[in-house]
Amino acid sequence: MTSARRPLPVPDALSAPFWEAAARHVLTLSRCSDCGTLTHPPNVACDACGSTDPRFTAAPVDGRGVVRSWTVIRQSFLPGFADLLPYVLVDVELAEQPDVRLVGRLLDGPDAPLKTGSPVRVAFEDLADGVAVPAFTLAEAS
Amino acid sequence: MSARFRARDRVAIVGYAQSPVVRHADRSLGALTLDTARAAVADAGLTPDQIDGFVTGTLLPTAGEHAVVDGVSVVSADWLAARLNPHPRYAAGFSGLGQIPGLMAMAVNAVASGAAEHVLVHRALHNPAGSYHGTSAGEFRGGLQWTAPQGFFGPLAMMGLTYNEYVQRYGASREALAEVVVEARKNGARLPWSHWSGRPLSAEQYLAEPMLADPIGRLDCDIPVDGAAAFVLTTAERARDLPHRPVHVSGYASGAPPRRRLPAHWPLDDIMAAGATTADRLWAAAGMGLDEIDLVQVYDGFSPLVFLWLEALGRCPVGEGHHYVRDGRIDSDRPGADPVLLSGGSLGNGRMHGVPQLLECYLQVSGRAGARQRSGIATALSCHSSPHLGGALVYSAEPGTSPVHESRV
Ligand SMILES: [Zn+2]
Repeated sequence: MTSARRPLPVPDALSAPFWEAAARHVLTLSRCSDCGTLTHPPNVACDACGSTDPRFTAAPVDGRGVVRSWTVIRQSFLPGFADLLPYVLVDVELAEQPDVRLVGRLLDGPDAPLKTGSPVRVAFEDLADGVAVPAFTLAEAS
Repeated sequence: MSARFRARDRVAIVGYAQSPVVRHADRSLGALTLDTARAAVADAGLTPDQIDGFVTGTLLPTAGEHAVVDGVSVVSADWLAARLNPHPRYAAGFSGLGQIPGLMAMAVNAVASGAAEHVLVHRALHNPAGSYHGTSAGEFRGGLQWTAPQGFFGPLAMMGLTYNEYVQRYGASREALAEVVVEARKNGARLPWSHWSGRPLSAEQYLAEPMLADPIGRLDCDIPVDGAAAFVLTTAERARDLPHRPVHVSGYASGAPPRRRLPAHWPLDDIMAAGATTADRLWAAAGMGLDEIDLVQVYDGFSPLVFLWLEALGRCPVGEGHHYVRDGRIDSDRPGADPVLLSGGSLGNGRMHGVPQLLECYLQVSGRAGARQRSGIATALSCHSSPHLGGALVYSAEPGTSPVHESRV
């Protein structure tokens, strides 16, 4: 059986700037125009200041962070992941604003040395023309 | 300071029925639920025409692509009412995640307010044919666009991240989880209706299972089933005239809204922060604290939730739930132990959500638990889902003060 294609994100009005930047391998978080707080994913109101017109902008961040948790996925319920099993998902606290947490694949594989607090940096997986999704790789402690 | 919960111990559970819990029923979920509901009404000493309220929750908790069809994969309050008493005064459904505390709260409020006199609550759970969580979706919109394309999908990955955070922080062992699963399966094996009836599990069997989402293995997750349960609620005054000893609802609670996260992302600190508010609200509503509760039944749809509920309720300090369960301290066969999985839970019944915990509290407080009956159970507590997105209920054998009396205070 040939591998199915991995599922793709379908951008909407709020998410389009994120996916446009991701296609260029740039990680962005949503910055509220009223209070400047970063969030992910964007929402209809700002969780920090309560603005109902937050006019989120896609603010580029350098994508460094630390691992808060991880799991090794050994059974996938999604198309396109069978050949990748087992793979590691990491729960990452971003250095830019630690209350923002992202979850993505760790591209170093299931045997990579991981512990709570391991430094990681964002990487991108190209899934289709003009579509890339964020993932992570282990980074040197800085 | 918040006002007293005026419905405290004013509304009582007066009857119940529990269907067999099976992997795939040989009849429709609607038929199974209708028969179960009729049995519960009869058990309460009532007739269907007296049931003027219907409450349920219809969550079908799959991540997969299953059609939701009323009467087939879910059973709504309206569907059941149309077949039991087509002109009820009140029919409603709870749509949140902690379905049992949520729907019981709606039923208690309906009875206490007089919106209905006899409310039937039910929960019907379905195991669809094919993969429970699997999907062939080629694209994701809305919240899942942020997780599924990245490979983060479904409740196993969710709990894998949450529980590994716990394991790394507090040093919990696989043997501690084995105590949870073995205890649930031991108690579930004794229940005639359970999917696991007659099939206990040894720690060795548990430890031999492979991981699915480390450190979560196959037996750490409840098995999907077809099953239905129903309960009848009415006023404490009316309950005195009915055949069974009533079990009063002292209070219910869910937590403060937790921080907004990615779909199915449950950071440990989020769970415990909102879980503390769940417990505070519960004690305030019930007018009693943990030390006044004779039987606690925690939720175990994923085995680690047992640790988190024990900690959120204050049975042990945060981070020590995995120590608390060791060495037989939750063993229902050990005198003086804390049998928090006496119901068999979801791990010992099948994926009945919070039904087993509610049912065990009802049976024990009403003195109807048969061979499993324990002495001196006048108060009880049941949990459902997680401490941050679910909730809990407290029950009492004693009725509350009468409305007339209290209005003069
Ligand atoms: Zn703001």
